[in-house]
Formats: sequence, C-alpha cells, structure tokens
Amino acid sequence: MVVWVWGLVVCSILTHNCYLWLGKRITPDTDILALLPVQERDSVVQRAFTNMVDSAQQRLIVLVGADDWVQARRAADIYQAVLRSRADALQLDHRMVKQDHQEWLAPFQQYRLTLLTRQEELALRNQSTQYWIDTALSKLYGPLVGLKLGAWRDDPFGLYGQWIQARAQETPVRPRDGRLFVGQGQRQYVVLPFVLQVPAFSMAAQQTLIPLIEQAKQAVYKAVPHAEVVAAGVILYAAAAGEQASREVSIIGFGSILGIIVLMWFTFHSLKSIALMMLSVGIGCLGALSVCWLLFERLHLLTLVFGASLIGGAQDYGTYFLCNRLAADAQPFDSWQLLKRLLPALLLTLVTTVIGYMALALTPFPGLRQMAVFSALGLIFAWLTVVFWFPALIISGTLKQPRLVAGYSKSLERWPSLRFQQSTFWLVGLFIGLMAIGLLRLGIQDDIRLLQNPPKSLIDDQIKLSKLLDAPTPTQFYVVRGTTAEVVLQHEEALRERLDPLIEKHVITGYQAVSNWVPSLRTQSTRRNLIEQTLLNEDGPLTAVAQQIGENRKWVAAMRSYLLASALPFTVGDFLNAPGSEPWRHLWLGQVDSGYASIIALRGLGHAGLPLMKDAAAGLNGVQWVDKVDEISTVLGRYRKYMGWVIVFSYFAVYALLYPRYQTATWRVLAPTALASVATLGLLGIVGQNLQLFHVLALMLLLGVGVDYGIFFQEGPSRRDAIAWLAVGLSALSTLLSFGLLSLSKTPALQAFGLTMLIGTMTVWLIVPCFRNDRAS
Amino acid sequence: MKSWILACWFVAFAVTPTRGGAPVATIQSMLAKPKILCGHFDQSKQLIGLKKPIVSNGRFCVVSEKGVLWRTVRPFPNTIRLTRDEIVQLQGDRVTMRLDAKQEPAVRMINSVLFALLAGNLEPIENLFEVDGKINDNNWSVTLKAREPAVAKVIAGVALDGDTYVKNITLNEASGDRTRIMFSKIETGDAAMSVDEAALF
Repeated sequence: MVVWVWGLVVCSILTHNCYLWLGKRITPDTDILALLPVQERDSVVQRAFTNMVDSAQQRLIVLVGADDWVQARRAADIYQAVLRSRADALQLDHRMVKQDHQEWLAPFQQYRLTLLTRQEELALRNQSTQYWIDTALSKLYGPLVGLKLGAWRDDPFGLYGQWIQARAQETPVRPRDGRLFVGQGQRQYVVLPFVLQVPAFSMAAQQTLIPLIEQAKQAVYKAVPHAEVVAAGVILYAAAAGEQASREVSIIGFGSILGIIVLMWFTFHSLKSIALMMLSVGIGCLGALSVCWLLFERLHLLTLVFGASLIGGAQDYGTYFLCNRLAADAQPFDSWQLLKRLLPALLLTLVTTVIGYMALALTPFPGLRQMAVFSALGLIFAWLTVVFWFPALIISGTLKQPRLVAGYSKSLERWPSLRFQQSTFWLVGLFIGLMAIGLLRLGIQDDIRLLQNPPKSLIDDQIKLSKLLDAPTPTQFYVVRGTTAEVVLQHEEALRERLDPLIEKHVITGYQAVSNWVPSLRTQSTRRNLIEQTLLNEDGPLTAVAQQIGENRKWVAAMRSYLLASALPFTVGDFLNAPGSEPWRHLWLGQVDSGYASIIALRGLGHAGLPLMKDAAAGLNGVQWVDKVDEISTVLGRYRKYMGWVIVFSYFAVYALLYPRYQTATWRVLAPTALASVATLGLLGIVGQNLQLFHVLALMLLLGVGVDYGIFFQEGPSRRDAIAWLAVGLSALSTLLSFGLLSLSKTPALQAFGLTMLIGTMTVWLIVPCFRNDRAS
Repeated sequence: MKSWILACWFVAFAVTPTRGGAPVATIQSMLAKPKILCGHFDQSKQLIGLKKPIVSNGRFCVVSEKGVLWRTVRPFPNTIRLTRDEIVQLQGDRVTMRLDAKQEPAVRMINSVLFALLAGNLEPIENLFEVDGKINDNNWSVTLKAREPAVAKVIAGVALDGDTYVKNITLNEASGDRTRIMFSKIETGDAAMSVDEAALF
C-alpha cells in the first residue's frame, strides 16, 4: 500500500519537475545580493540601499582609453561597433552622451538668485563692498568675448555661474566632440555608458552579452595595441559568480555521484544496489527542488552548489539499510521485518541531521535559509524512499559481500577501544595540549568577502573606474529623515556643514545630495535677505556699478526687482520634475512611513575615512550613517557567536532526544562528534585559519552527521558492530567525497564549510569505534 | 570669466567638418600668417538692460604654437593668457584664475577657436561653425553660424572682417548681449612684442 502511495508522490514530483524545466524553463538565480542578510528592522535604510543598487544594476560602464584622444575615439568606435550587433540587449545611453545643457539648465533660471555655493555664501557674509564692486566690474569689462550663461544682467555678480560650475564638478566626465570624456594624466578615455535592455541577473542575458563584451575588448586590443578597456557593471559580477557556481555544481555533483557508484560497486558488487542508491538520492534532489520552488518561487545557483553536497548525506539511509540487509542474509528476516527493526535508528539519524539543517535556516541570510530547506527536504525525500520502497525492492540473498569489504570489517577488531588505562590518559593529555594551542591561535573573520569572491581583474577594473569617474560608493552613505521634505533638507544642510571641511581635508572628494540643488526654503530666504542687504542695498555694490557705467537710481531699482524676481521658492518637487534631475532622483526617497527621507552619497571615500564619516553623523538630528559592508560583517559576527551557542544547546537537545533509547550509553553516541568538533577547531587554529560563521554552521551540520555514526554503533548487539562499521565507513566516505569537493569551491564560505565537514567527518569516522560499548562485547 | 569658460564647456560639441568652400580657401590665402602678431584692441559690449555700451581697450599678442596674450589696460588692468594647456587670468603678478585643460578639455577647444579667430585661421573654426564668406577686392568678410543646436542656443552668430589681418570681430549672443572688438596698430615680427609681454609667456 505505502509503496503505491509513495509511487504517486514520486510521479507528481517527476511531473512537476518536467513542468518546471521543460515547460517553464526555469533558470537558477545568480543575484549575489540574495546571499546578503535581509535588513533587520529598518525599512527606510533597506529602501535607500535598494535605490542605490538599483540605480546601478542595469548599467554597464566602459572606459576605452589611449594615450591620445584620436586613438581613444577610434578604439571606442571599434568597441561600440562590436556591441551594436546586439542593440536589442545593450544600448548606449544617448541621453547621457547628447545632453542639451542649455535646456537642461533652463528650469533653474527662475530660482537662480538663491542658488549659491558655500564659498560664495561665505564671501557674501565676509567680503567688503569693494570686493563685490570689483567682481561685477571685472565681469562687465571682462576680456575677449562676453560669452556666459544668459545675459550679463541675469547674473551680474557671477554667483549663479559659480554654482553651475560646482554642479558640473560633481563629475569629472565632460562632453568632448560629441562623446563623453574623462582624462587622467596622459591617458584619455572615452566613457561609454551602456544600459542593459535585459535583466542583469538573467543567465540568458549573461550568456549572450559576456562573450560579446569580451569580443569587443579583444577587437579593441587588436586594432589599437596600446588601448585600455576598463569595464564595470553588475552583470559582469553576476556572470562571474554564476559561471563559478555552475562549474562547482557539476564538479561536486558528478564527483560525488561517481564516488558513490564506485563505493557501492566495491561494497555490494551489485548493479542493483547502485540503482537503488541513485533512486533514493535522485528522488531526494528532485523532491527538494520541487518543494523549494513552491516555497520560494526561485532557486539560487548557490543552493544547487550546496545541494550537490547533499548527495553524500542522502545516501546514508540507503547505505545503512543495504549494509544491514547484507548482514541479515544469514537470518530468515524478510525486508519488511528488517525495516521494522531498523526504523528507530533510521528515524533518529534523520531527525538529528534535519535539526542541524534547521539551525542553518534560523539565520537571516535568505540564501542560507534556502540551502538549508533544500537540504533538509532532500534528506526527507531520500529517507522516505528508503523506508517505503527499499524493503519491496530488495529481498534476502540479493547482496553478496566481496573480500575487500570483509577485510575492512575485520579491521574493527584491531581498532583501539577507550579504556581506563595509562596510555589513554597520555593521549587525552596530548589532545588537550594540542587543542589548547590550536584554539588559542584561532582568529576570527567576519568579512563580507566571505560571501562572494569575484575575480581580481573585475575588482581592479571596478576600483579604477570608480577612481576615474569619481563615483559615489553604493554601500556607504547617509540616510537623512524629517517630518516634512523641508525638514529633510534642513537636516541635510546641517550634515553638509560637517562634510564640507572633510572635502577640504581630502577625506572625501565630494558628496551628492538633493540639497546641493535645492536649498531648504529657510536657507533660500536667508540667502535672499543676505543678497538683498549685501549686494542690492541703497548704497551697495549695485549702486556703485551703476555710477561707473553711467546708469541712474531708476536703473538700480529696476535691476534690483529684476534680480529678486529670480528667487522664486524652489521645492524638491520642482527639482524632481526638471529633466536635468534624472541622475539624482534616486537620492530622494520621498515619503516614508515616518515622514520623508533622502540619501547623501559620498564620492572618493577611502577605507581610512570611514570612522570620520560615522562621527560626522553623531549628534545630528535625523541623520543616520549607513555602512552596508560593516553591517553585514557585524551580522556575520553576531551569528557566528549566536550559532556557537545554538550548537551547544543542540548537543543538550540531541542528548535528551537520544536518552530514552540509549540511556547511560548516550554519551557514547555524542562524544565522537563533540571531540571531532573540538579537534576541527583546533586544527583550523593550528593551520592558521580564521574562524568564521561558516565553520560554525558546518559544525552544526557535523552534529547531525556525526551522531548518525554514533547511533549506528550503539544499535543492537556487538556482533553487528561490523555492520555499523561498514555503514559508517560508506557514509563517511561519501560525505567526505561530497563535502570534500565542496572545500574546492572558490567561494570562501562554501570552502570553509567543506573543509570543516571534511576534517570533522574524517575524525568522527576514525574515533567512533573507540566509543563502542565494551560491556556488550 | 569662469561662467564664460563654463558656457564654452557647455558648447564643447563638434561635428565632422565639411571642408571649406572656395571663398574660405581664398580668404585663407589673403591672410598673412606671421609668427608673432601684436596690436591694439577696442572692445565694446552692448548689454541687455544697459543704455550705454561698455568699452575697454588694451593690447593683444598672438604667438603661433604658443598662444594668446590679452591685456586690458583701460578702465581696469587685467591680463589673460591662453596656452595649449591652460587659461590663466592675472591681476598684476597675482594669478586670479587658472583653468587646466586636463580637467576641462573644453579649454583646449576654446583656445584653438580663439587663436584661430584672432589669426584668421578658419579651418579649426569650421568644426564648430558653418562659414559663409564674401570677398571684395582686398577685403573679406565672414559670418559664422553654429552647427550644433546646443551651441546655437548660446551663440547666435559671429561676424569677422579684414584684409591681410582680421580687423573686426562681432559676437551676437543668444541672450541679446553683443560684443564688438576692433583691432588696430598691428605689428608683426619679434619686435612687435614688448619685453614684459614676452616675459608673461
């Protein structure tokens, strides 16, 4: 009966998988950010971060440089020509290249009087009347041609011109000969801002564009030998991460399957046993995939990498059953009776392993959660397959024991057992000594780079490009809040008072803020009064200029009212509606739950400047310093400690779970794993590794896997120790294969995970017989 | 001054030049191309909102392969030096402004256009403007119209006239402001430049 029910479940899993892969054509996610923790608590900061990232996500910025402008242009043309073949996927942002600055600036004209740089505002407060007379006259009589923005009378003291120039200097990129240009020393670069027409995280898009981008680069190098191509964009990172993960899925997947086939063949000398193992592992993987898709509606590629190592774990149950079947052949058990006898142990091993995975699911990392759920589901499906189908599929007499296995089983007889004797104390002393040295040397590491490890060339390009373009960092910025838009601008202005000195000290090169463009209404009215009193008053500079050029009082009055008319109240709404505000709109978060909020982004910020930036926000109303990198590292660190405690409590929980069945021998089940965990930590310390969250998570999983071996050994009378020994050996070997291969991963987190499992499993395997029950033998 | 540079920065567009027609080539051949050319200038600006023109005068020098020196003498002394890599404004010995071509590539464009205008070399100008020329015996006159709409929004038109040298330049801005510069007392050769002028280069 259960056989048929399970058959139905398996059929529906298969159908669902067919539908997913063939009908829906799903592809795994490659979004690196999926691994980052969900922002806890603060939705505004989360939105700010999304804004900063999204504004960059669909962009690919390429710099094509050479030692002279003509060569650089030629190289850029070649580059563009190659990419033009896929204009449907990648397009040059023509709006940026062909901006009409006059049109762009026109909306600011009506507010221009109160648009001032900080320097000019200081000059208005501090400089003498004569200074302003000189300024106006030198502009008036100024040399050569009188070209300027608008007529002379629009900006007689040149204040608005200074402001426009300061805005232009927010980027070093300049239009030149109908292109965008940036220079550094002798190098001349053409800036090519591309916009992706397809999602950056789609694998199909990556497969189309990455070879094309590479081809364009090679074409440039071939035609212009000394040219330089620097590219940066989310798609490049996503593609690199995706490619690496795909490679690892195949290595780990194929490696462990191959290993298991070889193992099964040497152990049971039967194709049927191999087919059975493949069946349980296969149903495990497909079932996990189905349910995971239903739960998350997406699947991350790294989940599959991690899931590939599941193959090693999922076959434990089958192995245990087959080993017992092999041993039971001498007796008249049928397979269902055998199952009945094995069921308690099988259930305990499943529960303890799933507990390990569930602990992973407790972390706030969405990626990790998915991996854990995937693995736990895979184990459950494989387990159910063993329980429901194996007894029906295999009957006594099917399996024969080859000599190699007999030899291995015999080795148990010579394996040392833990007894109260002198050599034991020496060993324990040596162990404690070594571990103490190792643990003392163990450093810690919570860096965000654990989560992703892009190729160095990509990082180099990114750094170079950020420097050349003086681009703001997307991961460190300020979030400014207030009850109204006006209050936000006032809070921004208070912060800018502290940032301006930092620009002079070269801590940062500048900042991007909406208040750079729109002063708060309070500031606008202060400035208007200031200008009225300093420049336009009865006996002020304007009157003096009038005398010099032979104009009368009437003219002064007319000029005065003409200028004051250009100080209309300017609001954020006006700014956001202007076409020129497009590159800055992401800075304005607008209405949020508690009022209004905005971002101030920093340019040219180095690592050394971070504490200063944090200090700058201290004590300011409504200003919050956000350092995503630091935050993730803090979360990683916090969870490293938190998971450490979870492991300790898990040992107690597992102890309580096992106690009813094993009573006073329960410690024998747990001790090998606990010792192996300590040994692993010590060894990591001795080889100079730094402890990170992923080592700790692996120790959690090791608890689940290692306890299985303890259970196998505590089950039944001692003459079946040989079976336990065989089952442990097979399990351990396949775990070593799968997680051992995981330690080859280029992602530091997975590598640490794999390495910990490798050392831990090996140690448990070697020491678990020492804890077997002497009383029974 | 800064805003003027900036305007030029906004104007720093160019398109593929169509090579000069017959009058341009003829005018080119009429012009003397001395290594050093100095003279007197009178500048008159007619600005929107002002009744009287703003007049100033001074001396200028154009040195081929080096640049332009522009010294306003009256009513306020002021010196501007344009070289390939920078624009520098001096008041006496004090530098009051410096613009680097490395940071602002437009500087190079501005300098080449101004140099070309003063030297009557129409070729580089043709990149930015449509050139329309007339020749009358030994005199010629040229009008320039911006090719790019973005430039046309700042410069409505430029007119030049002269014989072996450029005699007058008139610039009409889109804002309505107008500037007229008249050149006189033109000298050429090494002796044309005074010692203190040479020292400024």
